[in-house]
Amino acid sequence: MRLELGKIYIKDVQFGTKTEVKDGILYVNKEELLKEVSGDERLKSIDVDIVHPGEKVRIIPVKDVIEPRVKVKGNGGIFPGFISKVDTVGSGRTHVLKGAAVVTTGKIVGFQEGIIDMSGEGAKYTPFSKTHNIVFICEPVDKLPQHEHEQAVRMVGLKAAAYLGKAGKEVEPDEVKVFETKPLLEQVKEYPNLPKVVYVYMLQSQGLLHDTYVYGVDAKKIIPTFIYPTEVFDGAIISGNCVSACDKNPTYVHMNHPIIEDLYEKHGKDYNFIGCVITNENVYLADKERSSNYTAKLVEFLGADAAIISEEGFGNPDADLVMNCYKIEEKGIKTVLVTDEYAGRDGSSQSLADSTPRGNAVVTAGNANEVIVLPPMDKVIGHIEAADVIAGGFAGSLRPDGSIEAEIQVITGATSEVGFGYLSAKSY
Amino acid sequence: MKENALIITNNDLVSKILNSGKYKIIFVNGTLMDVLIKVRDYIHKGHKLLTHPLMGSVKPNETPYKTVLISEKNYEYVDIQSLMYIENSIEVSQNLIRNRQPRNWPDKVLEDFKIIDFDLINNAINN
Repeated sequence: MRLELGKIYIKDVQFGTKTEVKDGILYVNKEELLKEVSGDERLKSIDVDIVHPGEKVRIIPVKDVIEPRVKVKGNGGIFPGFISKVDTVGSGRTHVLKGAAVVTTGKIVGFQEGIIDMSGEGAKYTPFSKTHNIVFICEPVDKLPQHEHEQAVRMVGLKAAAYLGKAGKEVEPDEVKVFETKPLLEQVKEYPNLPKVVYVYMLQSQGLLHDTYVYGVDAKKIIPTFIYPTEVFDGAIISGNCVSACDKNPTYVHMNHPIIEDLYEKHGKDYNFIGCVITNENVYLADKERSSNYTAKLVEFLGADAAIISEEGFGNPDADLVMNCYKIEEKGIKTVLVTDEYAGRDGSSQSLADSTPRGNAVVTAGNANEVIVLPPMDKVIGHIEAADVIAGGFAGSLRPDGSIEAEIQVITGATSEVGFGYLSAKSY
Repeated sequence: MKENALIITNNDLVSKILNSGKYKIIFVNGTLMDVLIKVRDYIHKGHKLLTHPLMGSVKPNETPYKTVLISEKNYEYVDIQSLMYIENSIEVSQNLIRNRQPRNWPDKVLEDFKIIDFDLINNAINN
C-alpha cells in the first residue's frame, strides 16, 4: 500500500465569500460550512469561530481536533465508515491542509477538561496552539442523552474537516511525502537483513466518552487485527474519546500518528517497519486476556523481531499495556512501551497501575499531575462556565481574574501517549 | 463464557438499573475507596476480579463513584492476579487522593459521573 501525502501549508484561515485555498490562506464561506455540518436535530445550534496562534484565546472544553484532508487519487474517501463508504483507504494520494485544524467543543458532561490556550504558558503544552483553528460550538437540544450528544458533536467535526479538506483537492501541495508498506512477504524480502518492527497500537475502548472507531466499528468489539499504517493517514481510526484531555488521542493525532511517521523515517535504514496491530482496552479482564493473547499471536505470526506498544489512557489500560508487553516478550520479541505518568506533583509516586519486569524499555510522555497556572485570556470560546468545574483542577481552580490553577492533564495533548507533544527530559 | 457476577458499587444508578435479578448487587454506602476495600475483602474470600478496578479515565480523586464486577463464586484459593490488581488499584487511588483531594461537585456533575460509571460497566456486561 503506497500513499502520497501532499501537504499544503496553511499560513492563515479567514472567513471569505468562497471556501478555497489561495496563496496559502484558507478562506472559509461560513454560511456554506454551517450548512454542511447542520441538519442534526439533536443539536439546537452550531456556531463557528476562527482562532490563530498567539491570540489571547482559550478554547474549553475541547472534544476533538481533526485535520482537514481530502482523497485526491486512490480507493475510498476520508473517514471511512463515517463520512465515506467503508472502502479500504491508505493508497493513492491524499491532500492535507497542514496548519489548519477543526476543533469541536461541547459541554457533554458536567465535569470538564480539554483546554487549548492559543498563547501564554498553557500554549507551550498543546500542539493545537500552533494551528489555525476552526472552532465549532455545539449546543444540544434539552435533555439530550450524553451518548447522542457526543455522537452529534463528533459528526460535526468530521463533516467540517471533510468539507474544508475539499478546498485542497486541486491545489498543488508544498511538499509531497510518500509512505509505502508492501504485503508482508514482499515487505520482509525487501530488507531481509534488517530487524522487523511492528507497532502495537492500543485504542481506548471502554464506553461512553472512552471510545475509538475503526472504519466505523466500535473498537471494543474488534479482536486485534492488522492495519496498514497508511490507512490511518486517511482517517480509518477516529476518536470518540473525550476524557483525560492530556493523553487521549484526538482524531488529528491518529491522522498524524507520530510513532507511525517516525517508524517510516528509518524504515529501510535501521529496521523494516512491517505494519501495525490494532488492539483495544476493554474493561472486562477476560477481554483483556483475549485481546493480549491475540495481539501477541499476531505479532509473532508477522515475524516481528521487535514491537513498539503505546497505550491510551490511565489505570485500566495499564493492565492491557503490561499484558501485551509480557506476552510479546515471552515469545522472544523485544518491546518498547510508550505511556505517560500519574506520579503525583513531585513525580515520585508509582507512575502506572500495573508493572512487569519485562517492561525494561519504556518511553514516558510526561507526568500529568504537574501543576500549572494558566493566565487569564481576553476571550474564551466554547463554554466559559466549564472552567469552574475542571476535572483536573482543584476547588477554586478558576480564580477571580480568570486564571486557572490545574494539573497539566486538563490541557489537550499535554502528555500524548504517542508522543505528539513537546515535553522532553533534560539531563544535567 | 463469562462467569456469573457480583456487582460491588456505591453508584445508585447502577444498583437501580441493573437490579433486575440477573445480578447480585452489593451496595456500598460509602466512598470510592470503601468500594475498593470491599472488593479486596471479597477477593480474600476467594472471589475473582472480573473487571478492572480502575476502569475509565476519570481519576479516583475526581469521580466519587466506582463499580467493580467480581465472580459470584468464591473459590477455595485466593486468585493472586485479582489480588495484585486490587492492591495496585488501591495504592494508585490512595496516591492520587493524597495528591489532590476530591472536590464537592455540584449535583449535575455527580449525575454525570454516575452515568459514565454505569455506562462503562454496562458496556462490559453487554459486550
